[in-house]
Amino acid sequence: MGSSIVITSGKGGVGKTTSTANIGTALALLGKSVCLVDTDIGLRNLDVIMGLENRVIYDIVDVSNGECRLEQALIRDKRFENLALLPASQTKDKTALTADAVKRIVGELKQQFDYVFIDCPAGIEHGFKVAVAGADRAIVVTTPEVAAVRDADRVIGLLEAERLHSPKLIINRIRPRMVKQGDMLDIDEVVQILAIDLIGIVPDDEVIISQANKGEPAVVRPDSRAAMAYRDIARRILGESVPLMSLEEKTGFWQRMRRLMGGRA
Amino acid sequence: MTTPLKEQWKAGPKPPVSVKGTRDGLLFLLNEECSVDEIEARLRELLHGESAGWFDGPEVHVAVDYGSRQLTPHEQRRLLSVFLEKENFVLREWGSRTQARHSLYSHREGAASPIIHWGTVRNGQHVAAEGDVVIIGDVNPGGEVTATGDIFVFGRLAGMAHAGSEGNRRAVIAAAEFMPMLLRIADTYARPPEIDGRPLYTWMEFAYLSEEGMAVDKIQFLPNLRRQG
Ligand SMILES: Nc1ncnc2c1ncn2[C@@H]1O[C@H](COP(=O)(O)OP(=O)(O)OP(=O)(O)O)[C@@H](O)[C@H]1O
Ligand SMILES: [Mg+2]
Repeated sequence: MGSSIVITSGKGGVGKTTSTANIGTALALLGKSVCLVDTDIGLRNLDVIMGLENRVIYDIVDVSNGECRLEQALIRDKRFENLALLPASQTKDKTALTADAVKRIVGELKQQFDYVFIDCPAGIEHGFKVAVAGADRAIVVTTPEVAAVRDADRVIGLLEAERLHSPKLIINRIRPRMVKQGDMLDIDEVVQILAIDLIGIVPDDEVIISQANKGEPAVVRPDSRAAMAYRDIARRILGESVPLMSLEEKTGFWQRMRRLMGGRA
Repeated sequence: MTTPLKEQWKAGPKPPVSVKGTRDGLLFLLNEECSVDEIEARLRELLHGESAGWFDGPEVHVAVDYGSRQLTPHEQRRLLSVFLEKENFVLREWGSRTQARHSLYSHREGAASPIIHWGTVRNGQHVAAEGDVVIIGDVNPGGEVTATGDIFVFGRLAGMAHAGSEGNRRAVIAAAEFMPMLLRIADTYARPPEIDGRPLYTWMEFAYLSEEGMAVDKIQFLPNLRRQG
């Protein structure tokens, strides 16, 4: 029996879909069977980032309505043999998907996959409740900005109310230069406010955008810093202890990271 | 050193009627300082005026708490009838110290022991307690703590705190890391001052009401303050 992980944030555009695609692909490359589930009804784009858009025939709403079998809606990625995608619906109403339906579908997926990643829509309304319904665990994504951190804090409280305790944290789009100049919150500050375990920091990296446009997740690129960060996160999910990457040459930063991870492993 | 807080203001008068959602249904709190006429008018407006639709729908359990005032039988009938006219209302409690009001707050038996809340009070969360409350964790921006007594935060107070919420002006708000967004003691609000454009950020301090209004001081001064009073 596999385990299901919802990737959520509260604030929009902080990198939920990017994280879902990259962590999922990284785990598939490490030999795990992975299914990515897009629950962002009406704004689906996980299939686009994964380059699978032209293979979408049925979607998660069709499965929940019984219009097709789960197996028919799953898109098997030809490039990564262990990877499948269950796309969201582009046309249907947001309320077309219920929490019970998602619970049932994710439960079925857990029978055949090691990991089921659920890409959550932004916000804390219906779509959020539906996305978290089938999750065993949660990962919260934020960027080092005050508004994103506020929303992440709100979402962590709501996850607790849904019995998803101690989610893991990803801080995305870090720009070491801005942090250093004090124009961006630093990692310590974010972790202190949110008081949950950090599972990874991802630098701001153009490769993420260019790869998304190509329809191929960045993790396949050996040289990109963000790709390395996502591969590290995948290994941490498998239980390995991987030190946080250094974002700048300064050793002080390294030591701070070590302490952060060490103190909370 | 005592720092008086400059920016402060009084809460507006309590509304004649406030409505709270409880686990069992709705609780109507009738302000004991308002006249029965005023309360009846407000109730009619709420339940039978423009907003009436809000209270229609399936059956709902209703509790009414009229505070510590005395009502004559005639006044009781007047107010009761406003509720009874509402078809979906099932009146479960009517009195001056209702269970429903009691259950709005977290309780601990024995007057002296404070309520202890473990964990961060996050954005959007609200901890309310009757008596004193101790938070083991931070109160983040957007988080709120209300207590009828004192509030002690063993962490960073960066959200909103309201001590003495039933009117106790001797209540205090103390925190290990003190950088509150908004403070309220009884009916006095204060916003901490900015120092060099940055919000107040101090350690081991507490806020209290002095004769000149709300002030902040080192925690060491708190026992003194209590002995004087
Ligand atoms: N580490 C990064 N470096 C550079 N660009 C990034 C990074 N992470 C995300 N982006 C870009 O930010 C944008 C938003 O990312 P993404 O779609 O993953 O966010 P989201 O949280 O899923 O958004 P939504 O709330 O709309 O679903 C995209 O254009 C993406 O390419
Ligand atoms: Mg998205």
